[in-house]
Amino acid sequence: MSNGTKTLLAIIVILILVWIGYAIVKSSPGEAPTTATSTEALKIGVILPLTGDAATYGEPGRNLFALALDEVNAAGGVNGQMLEFIYEDGKCNGPVAASAAQKLVAIDKVQIIIGGFCSSESLASIPVAESAKVAMFSPGSSSPDLTGRSMYFFRNYPSDASQGKILAEAAFNDKKWKTVAMLQEQTDFALGIRKVFETRFVELGGKIITEEFPSTASDFRSQLSKLRAAKPDALFLSLQTFAPTEKILKQLSDQKWAPNLLLSDVATSEELRTSRASQLEGALTAEFNTDPSNPKFSQMTSAYKAKYGVDVPYQGYAQTEYDAVYMVRDGLLAVGNSGEKFAAWGRTIKDWPGASGVITIGPDGDRAAGHVVKVIKAGKLENYSAVSATATSSPVVQ
Amino acid sequence: MSIIPQLIVNSIIAGAIYTLVALGFNLIYSTTKFFNLAHGAMAVVGGYVVFSLTRQLDFSLWLSIPVAILVAGVIGVLSDLLLFRKLRERKASSMILLVASLGLFTAIQAMIAILFTSQFQTLTTGASISTVYDVFGGAITQTQVVILATGLLIMAGIGLMLKYTKLGKAIQAVGDDEEVAKIVGIDTNKVIAIVFFIGSAIAGVAGLLVGFDTGLEPTMGLALLLKGIVAAIVGGVGSLYGGVLGAFLLGFVENFGIWHLSGEWKDAIAFVLLILFLIFRPQGIVKK
Repeated sequence: MSNGTKTLLAIIVILILVWIGYAIVKSSPGEAPTTATSTEALKIGVILPLTGDAATYGEPGRNLFALALDEVNAAGGVNGQMLEFIYEDGKCNGPVAASAAQKLVAIDKVQIIIGGFCSSESLASIPVAESAKVAMFSPGSSSPDLTGRSMYFFRNYPSDASQGKILAEAAFNDKKWKTVAMLQEQTDFALGIRKVFETRFVELGGKIITEEFPSTASDFRSQLSKLRAAKPDALFLSLQTFAPTEKILKQLSDQKWAPNLLLSDVATSEELRTSRASQLEGALTAEFNTDPSNPKFSQMTSAYKAKYGVDVPYQGYAQTEYDAVYMVRDGLLAVGNSGEKFAAWGRTIKDWPGASGVITIGPDGDRAAGHVVKVIKAGKLENYSAVSATATSSPVVQ
Repeated sequence: MSIIPQLIVNSIIAGAIYTLVALGFNLIYSTTKFFNLAHGAMAVVGGYVVFSLTRQLDFSLWLSIPVAILVAGVIGVLSDLLLFRKLRERKASSMILLVASLGLFTAIQAMIAILFTSQFQTLTTGASISTVYDVFGGAITQTQVVILATGLLIMAGIGLMLKYTKLGKAIQAVGDDEEVAKIVGIDTNKVIAIVFFIGSAIAGVAGLLVGFDTGLEPTMGLALLLKGIVAAIVGGVGSLYGGVLGAFLLGFVENFGIWHLSGEWKDAIAFVLLILFLIFRPQGIVKK
């Protein structure tokens, strides 16, 4: 090592020492910790897909969180203390979301995480949160596998158990479809819906033929040919994102196959419904209901429009995301910033009035309420009345 | 209705797409002797140039397509001038060139995702129903017929060029031995640049046709490239006609493979085919 390098190294070492010393001196003045926390914002973690195919949901989700956060802080936050959200990208992918949770828990030291949005994000991050006694509160994950998964997890978005079940009942009892072909994307969400649908449909006496595909697939032609050859009464597309939905619908029309369609709620964005209106005419889908006559809901939609200049997309998710922020505030007011207490408090929520209707969370962490069957007519979602009336009682017709 | 005619048609469609990728890849490989992974990115570039011109700037389709092909070709030449040529001059091994091309691929893919977002885009508008032809009970769209015809035309075009033109002979000479080609007076750098232009332009054609057939995603390059490379290796790396044979063999094996197996095995089947060839016939169907 030359003399020049030695001097340079020495200078660097001295600079680092001075900087560390300065940092210690600066932080040491003995201010009372209570005043320190009340001026500093209270950090809450948020995990949602900000990039990748599911960013279609994550972008408006972040807007909604920011909107509700501004409202909560403008109204005085939690006992005068402001809230701050730390957004992490879960990419709708388990391992990515788990490391995002790891970062929120270890570096930002949050006690509460809102998220994940995708079921795969929640399933993978729960163990991380659980071991650190941090609460996870999801406004979008709907996989039935999450029911009763952990004492640290709860959600204000209903489980897909209700979605798969009512679609199976509508298909078998009402439409009299006996054989349904299922094309399922290999994600936790799509698998969850498939499992519930399959169980109920087979229980009723129906038959299912299934094909699966990885999310990266783009050529579905031979899978569609196979399913078509089985002469099903309807085709169920259990998908997670927009890209495969668009690809599959195009390849269906390329093969001149126009089956009766069943779709999970994510495959029914307005963009898709208008661009493929004729192909989707009469398709059955389920949606977690939105109620524009609810004043909280209409306040959310008008505030969103005023702030971002566009209508709220994916309103089924928007309403629970908006509610989640207010529920976090109420939880903090009730039990303070403790993951353990917040998660326990979540299970006691009863008749909480929100934009998504009246919310009650059960002891298993699930929201007690569900989806309703919708039918697509001229590009619009309409209530499928014949079934929604009988869906709750669900007698087996046989 | 029998499923077989549709499976045959599906295999031909898949084979035609793989052909387009394998053709350009093989051309570049046979002259430069390295696996140019950036080739996949040129396909994405082609697709997105058409998207940007027609959907964002309202250009006509007939103007956008040649521009897209030209842009893909020019970016291919630039990749050679600014990156690969410099490495060749330093006598870098083909492994270093491969890693550099992977870097370039990732960079281009990321740039496209930043410019156009990573959302799925279609070149055709959703409402327009493409013309569908019936071939012995199997359905094939107009776009897919164009893909097939383009693949075969490009194959014939390159075949004729290599055999009958001075440039084609120079390309073969550089492929046989770059040093000797230099000694006999061929401007090898110029020949390689031309090869990059042609190869990348073909990739651009592949990308924009896939855009019309399926749709566009910034990440679609890798999947296309992998299948193209499998087709090239199975057919015989560097061999023009071998690549086409490999592409159709791959298309048929994949689509008939999932006739009785479940569809999620498709990619696995493709790579089992590759492994079988690497073990039992490493030179491929057609030995160069």
